[in-house]
Formats: sequence, structure tokens, C-alpha cells
Amino acid sequence: MAGLAGWLGVNCTPAAIVFETTSPYHHIQVVDQAGRRTLSFDSAMETTMSLTNSLQGHFQYTEFFQMPWLWNFRMTNVLMIGLGGGSTQRAYEHYYPGVVVETVEIDPAVAQVAKKYFQMRESATQRIHLEDGRVHLRRSEKQYDAIILDAYVANRYGSFIPYHLATKEFFLLAREHLATNGVIAYNVIGTLGDWRADILGAMFKTMKAVFPQVYFFAASDSLNVVLIGTKSTEHLTAAVLEQRALALIQQRRVTLPAFLQRVRAVRTEPPPSFELSPILTDDYAPVDGLLSGINGANAR
Amino acid sequence: MILVFLGGFAIMVLEIVGARFLARDFGSSFYIWVSQIGVVLAALALGYYAGGTLADRHEHNDALTWLLLGTGVFTGAIPEFAPRLINVIITRHPTNLAIPILWQKLDPALGSALIFLFPCGVLAMLAPYMIRLTAQRVGHVGRISGLVYAFSTLGSLAGVVVSGYLLIDLMKLSNIFRGTGALILLLGALCWFVEGRGSTGQSEEVAK
Repeated sequence: MAGLAGWLGVNCTPAAIVFETTSPYHHIQVVDQAGRRTLSFDSAMETTMSLTNSLQGHFQYTEFFQMPWLWNFRMTNVLMIGLGGGSTQRAYEHYYPGVVVETVEIDPAVAQVAKKYFQMRESATQRIHLEDGRVHLRRSEKQYDAIILDAYVANRYGSFIPYHLATKEFFLLAREHLATNGVIAYNVIGTLGDWRADILGAMFKTMKAVFPQVYFFAASDSLNVVLIGTKSTEHLTAAVLEQRALALIQQRRVTLPAFLQRVRAVRTEPPPSFELSPILTDDYAPVDGLLSGINGANAR
Repeated sequence: MILVFLGGFAIMVLEIVGARFLARDFGSSFYIWVSQIGVVLAALALGYYAGGTLADRHEHNDALTWLLLGTGVFTGAIPEFAPRLINVIITRHPTNLAIPILWQKLDPALGSALIFLFPCGVLAMLAPYMIRLTAQRVGHVGRISGLVYAFSTLGSLAGVVVSGYLLIDLMKLSNIFRGTGALILLLGALCWFVEGRGSTGQSEEVAK
């Protein structure tokens, strides 16, 4: 046990494995340590949650999934692809009880773990579909105010993005299922600088091929960047977004304490190097190559 | 031996690239791989059996050449016809109702079988066929069949490595299918050539 705690590298408080299983998709572990509960897939942290307050202790990037409010003050329904430990679902349930959140999760074991260990509750406003995200979208006739993607998997061997959720065809499908002021929010692991900028650049270019405006929200506590694509053609500046955030807070539509701070993380222009990145399509999407750096953006 | 090597190569390119191809419609589910591996193994079993029977039945015939040429065209056309085929499989389920778990598992196998069973089966026929052809001339059936297995499996190994590590990063999926189709056409031509040589050799022997 001591060895495990050392390997987790957080601190020396003993870590307790609360639950462990292997599904067709992941080796799933739930670990309690130092007042925090962690969900890991294949040794990579997916979700953290405070054991005393389930609305605390989450990764900062999950708060960027509330940014769609900036484009639609009257959100009523959201589709999320990828459940994990349900940080976003818990946040929406608490801060926006009127919003219906449908979550598509491919792995039944993950849904069970979220319900049993991460206070995920299924209800009229919180629904879970056990299916592949793209298959679900393709067969659905619904329209959503926001579609959120958090289906990215990372472990010590690198990050793995399901290629069929990263292509131009996928984003066209998503756009068909977005309402007028619809927004897509997409979690990518990478940075705006050098580290894994290649995959982020490709994701940006691919989203930009379908959505008129794409914004970046980079987390300060991890290497996650959330890309926001809007159906609206209007390019908003950081100042305008901040004004909207203030209005949302004033009208008490948004109650997340750190909302304004998160909005300030926005970057409205891509780094110039992203222009060189390829657009990913169903026919050509070397996401594994891009991720492992074989095929950097500059090589093309 | 080059023939069985290339045959084994083409089978595994189809398996690996095929799994990628199926994922865009059936999702990146674990069952894609289960069905793709299952279908290729079924194709191998059927192909070995049919190839062996065919090889024994007629001393020399050009059946395999024609089958390979057909398969080459079929494989090259996968990007054109397969999406429509898969669409039929998916859209037969009522929308806004979850696909039953059983079909979530079996649909990829169905799609995979419709697309990949035929080409991989024909390619698998090459091995017993070549054993028969070569053994006619040499007579060391044990050594010959061992060599054929070894080269066919080495070809498969090369197919896995090349498609998984290189082709998917460097080429469009549709072009990989077209390229593999062209390779199978080449195999058909090689097969015709080898058979032709085999039968002239045979007739010379008979003449003696």
C-alpha cells in the first residue's frame, strides 16, 4: 500500500482502493486518498472529487463545460459524450437544475461506478445512454443547446482520442444536432505552445472547418484545453465575453463561483502555427500518429 | 512464396484498416475488434477449406485467378459501396430508441462479414492452392506446407505492422483499400502466371 501511495505520487497519506474492475474498455480504479476520491482508467486520472463535498475537488477544465451559457442565456438541454466520474453532470444538477443533461457513455461499467462512487444520480434531468457517442448522435432526432465532449483518454503511454469523434464528418453531425445558438465544447489534451500542439492544432482546424468561430479555454491546473465552437458567426472579444459573464452572474442564471475567473481564461485567436495543421476527416485522421509525434503538424 | 506472403499481407491490411473503417459507423467499440478478428478467422477457415478442395478437384484451372481478380475489384470498390451497406444495417433500428445490447455487439460483426469475409476468404485460398501446386513438383509436402504457412504468416505480420504503424498515418483509408485492391489484382496475375508455368511443367513431364 505504501508503494502504491508513493507511485501515485500525491503525498504519503495511505491510499485505499475502494473499487477495481476491468471492463471491455478500461481497467477502472476508484481510489480514496487524502480526502479525495479519484477515478482512473488504465492508471490515468479521469475524475477527482472531494469526499466531503462532491462539488469540490474536480479538475478545473470541467468548469469550462459551463461556457456554453455565454452564447445562450436560456439553455435547456445539453448532450454530453463521455461520463467518467460525472463532475460536469453533478455541477449542472446543482447549479442549473432546470437544464436536462443527457449523457452518452460507451462503457456500462463506468456508468455503474459513477452512480455508486461519484454520486451520479439518474433522474428526469440526468439521463444516461449506454452507447457510442457518434452512433447515438447519428440516430438521434433531437437538437441540443450544447454538445460537450469529454471522451479523451490518456495514460502513461500518451493520449488516445477516439478518431471517429474527431473528424470533420463528426463535427458536421454534431452541428446538425445543435439549436440556433448551439455550442460545442471539446476537451483536448495539449497546449497552445509546443507540447502536443500538433493534435490541438488539428482539432482546431477540423472544428473551424465546420463552426464559424472557435475559442480556446486552457486549464491552469492540467494540460487540458477546452475548445468551444459556435454556430454563431459573430467573433466575440474577451471583453464582450466578460460582459456577458457578468450579466449571467447578475441575472443569477450562472451560479458557479469561479465562472468569471474561468471566462477570463479565454483565448480568441489561435497560435499562428495552427494554420499548418491538417483537417481530420473520416478518410484521413492520423490521430495516433499526430499524438505520438510521428506526424507533426509541420511535417505536412 | 511471394504469392502467399502478399496474400497474408493483404488479409491483415484489410483486418486492421477495416477495423478503423468500421469504427466511424459502429463507434469505437471493443466489439469492432472482436468482430473483425472473428470474421477474418472465419474467412481463413472457409478459405483454407475451399482452397484445398478446389486445388485437388482440378489439376490445373484458372478459378483462383478469376476469384482473385474479382476480389481485387471488390476490395478496391469498398469505399464506394460499404458506407451504403453499413447505413442499411444501422438505420434498420428505430431511431430515438437505444439499439439493444445484443445488436450493439453483433451489428459490427454483420457489417464486417458483409465487407471482409469474401476478400479475406479468397486470399486464404492461396495457401492450400500453392501447397498443391508446389508439392506437385517437389514432393516434400511437409516442408512445403511448413514454408507456405511460414511465409503467409510472415506476410500477415508485415501487414499488421505496415498498416498499423504507417499506412493509417500516411494514407487515406479509401486509398489504402484501392491500393490493396490493386495488390490483389497483381496477385491474380501472378497466380495465372504461376499456374501457367505449373501446367506447362506438368505437360512436359507427361510428354517425357
